[in-house]
Amino acid sequence: MAMNPKELAHAEIAEIAPLIQNKEISPVDLVDLSLSRIAELDSTINAFIHVFEDEARAVAKAHEQEIMSGAYRGPLHGIPIGIKDIYETGPTTCGSKTLDGYVAEEDCFSVKKLKQAGAIVIGKTGTYEFAYGPPTLETHFPPTRNAWNTDFECGGSSSGTAGAIAAGLTYAGMGSCTGGSIRWPAQCCGHVGLKHTYGRVSRRGVYPLSQSLDHAGPLARTVQDSAHMLQGCAGFDPLDPGSADVAVPDFSAKIGRDIQGMRFGVMRDLYEDSAAPAVKKAFETALGQLEKMGAHIVDVPSISLEELLAFCFPLMWADAAAIHAQNIKTRADDYGRHTKLYLLWGLCVSNAAYQNGLRVRAQVRDQQLAALTTTADVLIVPTVGFQTPHVLEHTPGLEFLSGAAFPFYTPIFNHTGLPAIQVPCGFDDDHMPVGLQIAGKPFDEQTIIQAAYAYEQEAGWVKQRPDL
Amino acid sequence: METRDVIRAKLAEFDLEVSEADLDELVPAYENLLRQNKIVEGMLESRPMTKGMSMPLSEPILVHNIARYR
Repeated sequence: MAMNPKELAHAEIAEIAPLIQNKEISPVDLVDLSLSRIAELDSTINAFIHVFEDEARAVAKAHEQEIMSGAYRGPLHGIPIGIKDIYETGPTTCGSKTLDGYVAEEDCFSVKKLKQAGAIVIGKTGTYEFAYGPPTLETHFPPTRNAWNTDFECGGSSSGTAGAIAAGLTYAGMGSCTGGSIRWPAQCCGHVGLKHTYGRVSRRGVYPLSQSLDHAGPLARTVQDSAHMLQGCAGFDPLDPGSADVAVPDFSAKIGRDIQGMRFGVMRDLYEDSAAPAVKKAFETALGQLEKMGAHIVDVPSISLEELLAFCFPLMWADAAAIHAQNIKTRADDYGRHTKLYLLWGLCVSNAAYQNGLRVRAQVRDQQLAALTTTADVLIVPTVGFQTPHVLEHTPGLEFLSGAAFPFYTPIFNHTGLPAIQVPCGFDDDHMPVGLQIAGKPFDEQTIIQAAYAYEQEAGWVKQRPDL
Repeated sequence: METRDVIRAKLAEFDLEVSEADLDELVPAYENLLRQNKIVEGMLESRPMTKGMSMPLSEPILVHNIARYR
């Protein structure tokens, strides 16, 4: 297979891995290509906060020698990846001025695992400040721009990882997800984001936003590539209190199986009244395609968006505020204004409201598990109900915490802990990507990967790339 | 008590002072939080808790309950 440099930069891990294994492409070539594209494009895209040029080249050389000697580790061996800058590995800012100059003493658990699988960390990618305060043209770190149209942002908070993949600067990467920060940016950038079951991947060494909601998972171009990434980072960590001591299966085991008879439970009550017309149209078209593929489309009960927002953000920002409460006293001016306001709002959440939020969360989880054990094999809903936003020039206010429409459907699966995967399902009227998410039973990532892969292959959106 | 004063008092518990500009942003967000609290209370009243799930959950319990359905 002959690919020109641009095609190679936008290729899938599943395409490249056999070439590396067969010694037709060297990890050194891939790292050089990534670094040259970062040098050429990243002054516009702003995907990376730190680039590990010398280290990545040295590691690539070592992997090249290992592969040449016949010691091939697997699909991630020799693949350049980006790591969200809230993971401890090298310099780590969390996208915040408050951590300028901090260098991690060691790699966090999941990065160690990815390196053991042979992945090459090319650099640290941009993030919303501490994974929630969105960057603007006024903030300490600039926003990551979207390769589909650089007037638009990449979503967040894992904006840099998503932007780097879309721009062909790297092949995959790690994000983190407390309310949708893997799936939303993956949607904005037209690729795949896989939020695993709560506890599947260690968060040790990943800066927390909310201990009960945080997930540390991959973004990649395709469902198959996401499965490879999850394979590389999943596993029990006794030093993460949320880590689940469960076996790690072969996440690709069901890839390629058909979805004949699979029941997709549509959470209509969550999105019906709030999704933008372009989102609804793409989503409904996708449901039609799934039906043609032999799937059964059924409605399942769901809470409304208003109900979701009533507990999801109070819990999230109360947790975040607790983490930052000491620092905000002494260094408030080093936080972005928006981040600081979120934290202050989080400090206003009463304990009674917090406890009630936890109880409602349990109800919602039971509702979803009941659907998944009776009427549906997987759940399906648009990823978000709004179109990809333009890059923000100025720091916004707290409109979306003040009752403004905010059709954000991803947090529901952070609160219930279920695995959920975002796949592209079309484009909106700005020609920016639109996506849907498929969720499944706890620790059954295999089935959502099967469903997402089948849809992805049938729909074909995955083959489209930004012209960059 | 005015909402601005409520917010000032809550943040004073953490030794934090807020500017008038910050309060301008926080007042509508706080009033929305109170509205959201009522929605949550309504959800609790309208949907009986599943047997065995009547206590607030901590994170490890969440994990264990997920594992129950594996």
